[in-house]
Amino acid sequence: MAEITESPPEPPGETQQTSETTRKRQEPESDFDPKTMRKSKPGLKRLTLTLSVLFSFLLGFPFMWKSVEIYRAPLPFREIDVLSAQIESKPLLFPCHFQAIFVGFDSKPSLTPDALESSILYEIAKLTSNTPQCGTCTNHTVSVVVDSSSGCVQSRNGEYLAPWQCGALGAVDFGDDEGVDDVLVDVLGGKVYSVVVVNGDGEEVRAVVGKYRHAWVVGRVSEKGAVARATEIFIKVFVNGGKEEGLIHGEFMPVGADGRIVLSFNLLNSDPQDWVYDWDFQAIEETLLAPVIKALGPVANISVESQVLYHTPKSSFSYWDDKRESYIFSTKDLPFFVNSNEWHLDTSIAAGGRSKILQFVVYIPSAKECPLLLKLPNGEISKTNGFISPMWGGVIVWNPQGCLKDSESQHPLRHTISPQDLQKIFEVIMGQFRQLFGLKSDNLYHGASGTSSLLASERGFTEWELDVLSRQHTCFNLHSCTTTLGSLSRLVQSLPRMIIMDEIGKQVMYSVEAANLAQSNASLGIYDASAVSSRQARSLAEDAFFHPSIMSVSYYSFEHCFAVYSPFFLPVSLHVLLDAFREWRRYKQENIKYLAWKTKVKKDS
Amino acid sequence: MTHLPRRTVYPFLLLLFQILFSAIAFGSVLREAGEEEFSEELLLRPLPDRKVLAHFHFETRAPSSLSDSYGRHHHLFPKAIAQLVQKFRVKEMELSFTQGRWNYDQWGGFDPIPSSNAKPPGVELWAVFDVPQHQVDAYWKNLTHTLSGLFCASINFLESSTTYSAPEWSFQPSSGSLRYGTLPREAVCTENLTPWLKLLPCRDKAGLSVLMHRPSIYRGFYHSQRLHLKSSQFDSGGLESGIVLEQTLTVVLQPNSQSTSKTYSIETKLQPSWSLSSIFGRKVTGRCVLAKSSNVYLQLERGLVTELENLQMENVISRADNMGSEGLRSNPGFELSVKPDRVFKEVNSIYSKSSSVLCEYSIVKYSDSEPFDLGLTWKLPVVWSCQQAPLHASRFLMGSGNERGAIAISLTSTELNEGFLGANTVEDRCKLQVDIFQVVPWYIKVYFHTLQVFVDGQPQGLTDVVEKMHVSPSEDKVSPGVMELVLKFPCGVKSATLTLEFDKGFLHIDEYPPDANQGFDIPSAVISFPNFLASTHYLEENSLTKTPMLSKFQEKSLVLSYTEVLLVPLTTPDFSMPYNVITITCTVFALYFGSLVNVLRRRVGEEERLLKNRAARKAGRLPQLLSKLSAKLRGKECESPQSSSASSSFSSSKLILKVVIVAGIAIFWQFYSK
Repeated sequence: MAEITESPPEPPGETQQTSETTRKRQEPESDFDPKTMRKSKPGLKRLTLTLSVLFSFLLGFPFMWKSVEIYRAPLPFREIDVLSAQIESKPLLFPCHFQAIFVGFDSKPSLTPDALESSILYEIAKLTSNTPQCGTCTNHTVSVVVDSSSGCVQSRNGEYLAPWQCGALGAVDFGDDEGVDDVLVDVLGGKVYSVVVVNGDGEEVRAVVGKYRHAWVVGRVSEKGAVARATEIFIKVFVNGGKEEGLIHGEFMPVGADGRIVLSFNLLNSDPQDWVYDWDFQAIEETLLAPVIKALGPVANISVESQVLYHTPKSSFSYWDDKRESYIFSTKDLPFFVNSNEWHLDTSIAAGGRSKILQFVVYIPSAKECPLLLKLPNGEISKTNGFISPMWGGVIVWNPQGCLKDSESQHPLRHTISPQDLQKIFEVIMGQFRQLFGLKSDNLYHGASGTSSLLASERGFTEWELDVLSRQHTCFNLHSCTTTLGSLSRLVQSLPRMIIMDEIGKQVMYSVEAANLAQSNASLGIYDASAVSSRQARSLAEDAFFHPSIMSVSYYSFEHCFAVYSPFFLPVSLHVLLDAFREWRRYKQENIKYLAWKTKVKKDS
Repeated sequence: MTHLPRRTVYPFLLLLFQILFSAIAFGSVLREAGEEEFSEELLLRPLPDRKVLAHFHFETRAPSSLSDSYGRHHHLFPKAIAQLVQKFRVKEMELSFTQGRWNYDQWGGFDPIPSSNAKPPGVELWAVFDVPQHQVDAYWKNLTHTLSGLFCASINFLESSTTYSAPEWSFQPSSGSLRYGTLPREAVCTENLTPWLKLLPCRDKAGLSVLMHRPSIYRGFYHSQRLHLKSSQFDSGGLESGIVLEQTLTVVLQPNSQSTSKTYSIETKLQPSWSLSSIFGRKVTGRCVLAKSSNVYLQLERGLVTELENLQMENVISRADNMGSEGLRSNPGFELSVKPDRVFKEVNSIYSKSSSVLCEYSIVKYSDSEPFDLGLTWKLPVVWSCQQAPLHASRFLMGSGNERGAIAISLTSTELNEGFLGANTVEDRCKLQVDIFQVVPWYIKVYFHTLQVFVDGQPQGLTDVVEKMHVSPSEDKVSPGVMELVLKFPCGVKSATLTLEFDKGFLHIDEYPPDANQGFDIPSAVISFPNFLASTHYLEENSLTKTPMLSKFQEKSLVLSYTEVLLVPLTTPDFSMPYNVITITCTVFALYFGSLVNVLRRRVGEEERLLKNRAARKAGRLPQLLSKLSAKLRGKECESPQSSSASSSFSSSKLILKVVIVAGIAIFWQFYSK
């Protein structure tokens, strides 16, 4: 076989074509096999043609790929991985500095600050578990001051120490807790966790935890007892927030993904035909709620709203108890108490989409079920007459005075709940609010080495409690932020044809930055700032994850792309590839033939 | 550029003033502003075509208080609405859900109820915002989304700029911050009513709303649920301030005449007697205790009162005086089961000689044991007609085919008496002013220059009739076309027609709604008569205790009517078409390309030689025939067949190669898709 442009080799059957020229070359002709040899060089024209078509296709392919490409903002996948690895491998721990001040331990000369410090550190190591929980302290540093009549002795590492004036507690009456608290704030400044142990006269040992960051133990305590007491207050109260097992765990943080909480207060008149109660919420908000909201500023951005609803019966039953002369509902009815059909508590339009709404419900029973009391599992009547539902809010049943209907008339007057009653109700609500945050609602801490009383702050949350909350929130927020970012990066990587807007990329970047900032703040021990920036990190991560464009319709699958382009490119590429392949093979074959002829000619010549 | 700073300074000053003002006013306003109020009312009215109109009217007022606490602490006022007003800075808003069409001929078109409660089918929403011009659209979009969540309706479709418009002056006078949108095809049902009821303090647990028995309400001929709110929150120095939320439900029901419907005479049947329990299936078991006033009204229209007076004159000639409560109770036409507490007579209206009568029932004294069940029993057949708007408007389509058509709005006189129109005489020439507001979706491409006006069948010059005109042409996929017209007709006009031609546009494949073959709706046009104000004054003993509904009646509201919704069929494509097109064009291209490549690498001489060889070697029967055939097809002379052994082996290897390539691609594809 040969090119048509070349002079064709004579097939053996065509004898009529034997011309002069072939006769001349009779000699080589005899062993010339047209199947295996050819005389002319194989042409390159068709090969170059098909190959150029193929190459132009290959060259055009990147352009087409580019033109159908989908815009994806670059996401910092590596940073996200690093961050989540960091957060997961070691829990976020904060440095904590403690200060123990021993007053009145004159008798023993062996009582050196350094010895006390090492024994406190030993006790701390015993109390802290091996696997430290997130949001607790690590890297405990303790400094000890022994204030005796002969003067003050400090332990060696005194750099974290608040200035302590010797004999500052000389004339303090330990009967007045508030007074002591104020004196200690003046003396210690209220920045470092401190426990003051005063070896006093032969009365019972009292331990009080103040509103700021200090506690004091008064009474006849041995040196060992004092150390144990101080350590317990440090670890169990200051670090862990005095929580007992079984309370709400830190993972259930009632803070929305955007770092906001809406406190929605609802006054429910279950049957306005009997009586109608109203409240002056404006005053309550100004006096009672505003300080709490301000105190919780670093943890969450809180807003308050209220409404009064009518015709809202509860959906569980209660029974009449003759002995108590009241209607009783028990704790096992609680899951059915909230009547979601009739209680239109509503989400708030004013709140953003991802805010957490905590509902606080003051339920006024109708005349048919008044007074309504909650029976605890142990048979007693609940003092607060209310209950909480974690992450949802709390309910309080408030019975009107005397449960007396105004009259048999049709037109009940509109009462206003008296300020005293309202004060009581809001004390309970405040307790519920604290419980929702995982803190104790009563003011006693029962530890292994005795009971400590906790002073309540008028702001609802004491300084050390706020510290605990800040630490926990930082930890929780960072965890949530990394899981969100991790899911986002997995999602983005698994859907290669998803559009990612620049905004998402920016949000992710800022979120990672804020998370890193929170981490570094945490390691420096700045609780507030780390809580704030961790909140930012979380809300930015959630914003990125729930960005509307991620859910947009313009995401189209690779299958769709394939369906649109394959009717053209599949047949065409088959043609082009096969042709190129065939031409190449043919060229090789012909070249071999030509070479065979060449060698033969060479051999002959 | 130079005037820019001045512009920014002015709002700042205003703001400062506002802050100062509110700071000064705070102390007094907070205590003085009064309480939130709620009132409930029901109006019943027998209609000439044997139906009954029931109009529920609930009004909730919130006093304006400190802007800080605003929308946060509420006692009666729904929190959701207050927050909505606060968040979207709504000055005024009206949302209506309507099913059925108001029958302007039979049910009247002139008094306050039809002019403010007869609404176009589906959803209509308009809102005025108190924000700078450039932010209005953004606020509107957010508002539609919030409302759609609040009322379980697809109001969010009004977000797209192709669905709403900004009327300049014909709909409501506003300074550009008004947005208007309708969804004619929205179905209205209980899921919309329940959230609406949730805004009432007593919901449907007590009071008049107990009557809203869903099956009987939705069985009616017309059902319109409306929410209107007006806030003067953002006015700097308003006298009356706060938010007024007005919720109305207007239903037209057919009392089932189960009672021996004896035909009184051959042509006039007795009107069906009804009672609350027969039309609603419920009775009123007492008021909502939170309501400040809770009343039921029975309204007798002017026409009916005239007829009744005539009847009375026939019966008792001596007692032709005005109808007191006793007179009404024992009038010859009908009988009421409950004696009204008060009866009001309309203060002589300017448009009509007779005056309507309103009976008031206070619900306060009724209770569970003694429910309120108003009944009306007809004794004599009475035929009357309602007072209608000066012109009856209807709209229809002209033309056929999928290409073009025309919209016609026809206004026919309702034969109001001369004095009625004469009251609006402007000097010597009597003119009847008609405002038309029409929104057309962009895919109906209206040619506004083709506007033609016919008065009494005669074509008129536009300049003679059109007083004022504002047109904003539609922009494809961006905005709808809006036409606002002020027309002045001579008073004696019998009929007037406006026509507009349009071309039907093509939509993009993903713009078609589901069930596109049903057609596309053109929203109702709004026809209003600015010379006529519908208001009814009732004579009251003491004007201090004016209930919200009565004061609503007294308000001078514009007489307006909505036309029908038009259904325009557009060409609807076969929705698999894009893929078919892609496939066929790609196949054609691939064929062309493949054959081109084949031709380029073809060796004609060699192939012919091969064929000859084949013919020489083997003279198989079938291959010979085939080659003959192929030769014939090629139009060449037949060549002797050659051996095909080589070619067959080659073709089989080709086949294998193809199979291998396809398999390879399949494997690659599988691998990739994993």
